[in-house]
Amino acid sequence: MISKTFSKETKELLREGRVLISLIIVILLLAVAVFISARQYQNINEQYKVAQQTERANWDNQGAKNPHSAAHYGTYAFKPKYPLSLLDQGVDKYTGTSIFLEAHARNEAQFSAAADQTGLARFGDLTPDFILLFIIPLLIILLGFNTFTKEREMGTLTLLKSQGISSFRWIWGKWLALFTPIFSITFVLFLIAGLVLSNLKDFGVFNWSTLVTMFLVYMVFYAVFINMVLLISAKAKKSGIALVIGLSVWIIACLVAPKMATNFAQARHPYPTAQEFAEAVQMDKEKGLDGHNPWGEEAQQLEREVLAEYGVDSLSQLPFNFDGYIMQKGEEHQAEVYFKHYNHLKTQYGKQTQVYQTLAVMSPFLPTRFLSMSLANTDYGTHWHFNDAAEKYRIAAQKLLNDHFAENSEYGDWDWKADANYWQELPSFEYEPPSLSSTLSKNTSNVVLLGGWLVLSFGMLFLTVKIK
Amino acid sequence: MFKYNFKYELKQLLRSRWIQLMSALLLLLFGFATYNGLQKVEERNAAITTAQDKARENDKIMVKLLDSLDRELEVSIPSWRHPTNPMVIGNSYPRVAAMPAETFAFVATGQSDMFTHYKKPEVYGFSFIEDFTEMTSPVQLLFGSFDLAFVIVYLLPLLIIAFSYNVLSAERESGSLRLLGAQPIRIETWVLQKLGLRFLWLSVLVILTLLMVFLALGIPPLNKMKAFLGLISMVLAYALFWFALAFLINLWVGRSAKNAMSLLGLWIVFVLLVPSVINQMGSTLYPLPSRALMINEMRGTQADVLKNVDEILDNFLRDHPEYAVNDTTLQRNYWHSFMVAQKVIREELQPVLDNHDQQLRKQQDWVTQFKWLSPAVVTQEALNQMAGTSSQDYENYRQQVLDFSHEWRNHFVPMVYNNTVFSKEDIENLPHFEYQPLKGTFTGALFTVLGLSLFVYLAGILAYQKKSRDIILKTE
Repeated sequence: MISKTFSKETKELLREGRVLISLIIVILLLAVAVFISARQYQNINEQYKVAQQTERANWDNQGAKNPHSAAHYGTYAFKPKYPLSLLDQGVDKYTGTSIFLEAHARNEAQFSAAADQTGLARFGDLTPDFILLFIIPLLIILLGFNTFTKEREMGTLTLLKSQGISSFRWIWGKWLALFTPIFSITFVLFLIAGLVLSNLKDFGVFNWSTLVTMFLVYMVFYAVFINMVLLISAKAKKSGIALVIGLSVWIIACLVAPKMATNFAQARHPYPTAQEFAEAVQMDKEKGLDGHNPWGEEAQQLEREVLAEYGVDSLSQLPFNFDGYIMQKGEEHQAEVYFKHYNHLKTQYGKQTQVYQTLAVMSPFLPTRFLSMSLANTDYGTHWHFNDAAEKYRIAAQKLLNDHFAENSEYGDWDWKADANYWQELPSFEYEPPSLSSTLSKNTSNVVLLGGWLVLSFGMLFLTVKIK
Repeated sequence: MFKYNFKYELKQLLRSRWIQLMSALLLLLFGFATYNGLQKVEERNAAITTAQDKARENDKIMVKLLDSLDRELEVSIPSWRHPTNPMVIGNSYPRVAAMPAETFAFVATGQSDMFTHYKKPEVYGFSFIEDFTEMTSPVQLLFGSFDLAFVIVYLLPLLIIAFSYNVLSAERESGSLRLLGAQPIRIETWVLQKLGLRFLWLSVLVILTLLMVFLALGIPPLNKMKAFLGLISMVLAYALFWFALAFLINLWVGRSAKNAMSLLGLWIVFVLLVPSVINQMGSTLYPLPSRALMINEMRGTQADVLKNVDEILDNFLRDHPEYAVNDTTLQRNYWHSFMVAQKVIREELQPVLDNHDQQLRKQQDWVTQFKWLSPAVVTQEALNQMAGTSSQDYENYRQQVLDFSHEWRNHFVPMVYNNTVFSKEDIENLPHFEYQPLKGTFTGALFTVLGLSLFVYLAGILAYQKKSRDIILKTE
């Protein structure tokens, strides 16, 4: 009986113009979206490669120089794009892509794409994630809003009852009929994306298991939506009403809840402004050692300690250049200050995340959105991960330069220069995005929330809907 | 007939609780959105005030220090931070270049969550390609804010669709259309009157609820009558467009469900698709130079200049003998080379930066050229302009800050080269920043949306004439 209901519903869907038209529109949109994203992905990665090589050449060829001057000259870390950004662009447009790595300061990633576009960028882009997250749920509503109401409206309900079909089989048949077209479109999209990505040269970290996980996330999301639509259709008196309620649910879940969450999150757990942040950092920095200020209190203290430790009575008798040593100690203090302040930001963001997760009760869209971008490595978490990696590299680079200065020059000799080819000893910055397992373990709550939606909506559907 | 229609419609709207539900919804949505907007504006102004207060405190300390140094008293800070050195003033005592919120800033968040509202240009730290973005969680930028503009541009059309998609089809489906057909009124006039009355009631509700919300939240609409009327007329023009669309679809399409789907499809087209397509085409046709490659260029120039800085300084002084004449000490230190290096790098990078700005301007022109394709874009931009939070506003602010930073730097150049000592008398001559907001009008936007509404209405009439009356009256 399941298969009969299924084939009847499928035939009906195929016969109706709206289904074919909507399906064709969605597929066309998807094709355009994939094409645009693929081009962008290749473009950005090519630029990234050039920029990285040129910057490295700048660093390598800076000539004989004092290591600390080189530290001030600094270098840049560029954030690459990851293969699955082809499917979900996430917050990539809003995060900076290059970080200036210099002495004494941890800089924010600069130059987000959105800041370099017109105000229209804020309306959203025609990308696959837009279609996956907004349009396909809408498609589900359009295909399924009258699944049950039509039986009542056309008077076929009485006939059905005489067939002795169980409610469970009846619902299941209809569920499958709705799920199959959605599954097929999404499956084809993911398959194409997988094939495109595995055939691109230098596709780096792409692996099929992440793609499959992402596919599963969307399947769960769509199943939840189908359950909701069927539930509404079963409870509503008329098709028109079912459609309006379905749309309201869509609006609340996909448009209103995320925006509300944003306002609550920022009002309750605000970020400091960029200037406030910089000032707070500056104040803390001044409380400690400054490598450029040997007359400061902390510097004098350090000097006494070092002299006592080595049992000598002047700095020039030390086995290393104290200028380099104090520079490194100052650097360590500053790194700690940054660590503290960035941790505060992370705590604020952690609290904001809880607001988003609380509102996920209202909207299965939210956990899906977060899971999807995490898997695509285009979420805020990956951005933090990249930032932290760049900072770790910066600290290591400063240590290397300061130590070289301390070990090879005499105290007070600021004119001393490192060899022109010394700079090549700095290893280049390599970044690996989080692995699938670590992404999933960081997103347990989102998995649980989405799973909760699935179980609850299935339960509601099968327990409360009866043929009557 | 109009009188009957008016009475009947009012009764129906009250009985079906349309008016009640609509008022409650509008009150709730407008209220929440306005509250959010006000909260953001408050945050923004508070940050600016704090910064200005701090700067004032800092200035007081500077005056004290100058006083003590003048009287040759001992001060607690090392000599390289003494404010008698003009470079210390240029770096450690910057002015706050702020962009205060305009009166109607709460209407639209616009770009205000992305860009900063105050900068403190210094001589030393201000980068060649200074970033003006704000420290906001990108998740917030992605989701956007629940502001009045969102309610108006996204949600209001959906409310209109929900209450007007079946004006004609419901009559047909319930069988009362045939009765109506016997009345001495043309169908399109009847639909027009019905929708017109709904538009009238919606307008009344929008005006009343907005007034109530504004009064309740302490925004005096009467003091800003012109701006308030502007906001109302923009909202109503946009609503009119959606009613015109409902008119067209009601006459053209047919069954309730199909009507709803068509209207919804149009909503997606106008609110979601057209904006993103215009934007994407704009950025494809006029791509912005890669920032990463721009960094490369800046770094290359920087490296070249630093290698030859001594030579550059010599040339510079030869070209500017006035700097050597007034200075008897002829001391040359780090700042002398620094200033000249900065100047050269800036000049060499200028074409790259100009190219960037030009491409952005071309994108903006492209958008302006095609935005009439979607009334949602027109309305959103008009609301942003009203709020002073549009891209153009932030671009204007950015240019003013860049000019100011230039002025600030140049103010110290003669002092540095003449090795002048900074004194208390010089304080009042320091450059001062005052933001000059753009004076935008939205009459263009208003007429665009009204024109589009008229166009859609005429299309509706045409659709009706093509379809014979019998087909419309036919019940299934």
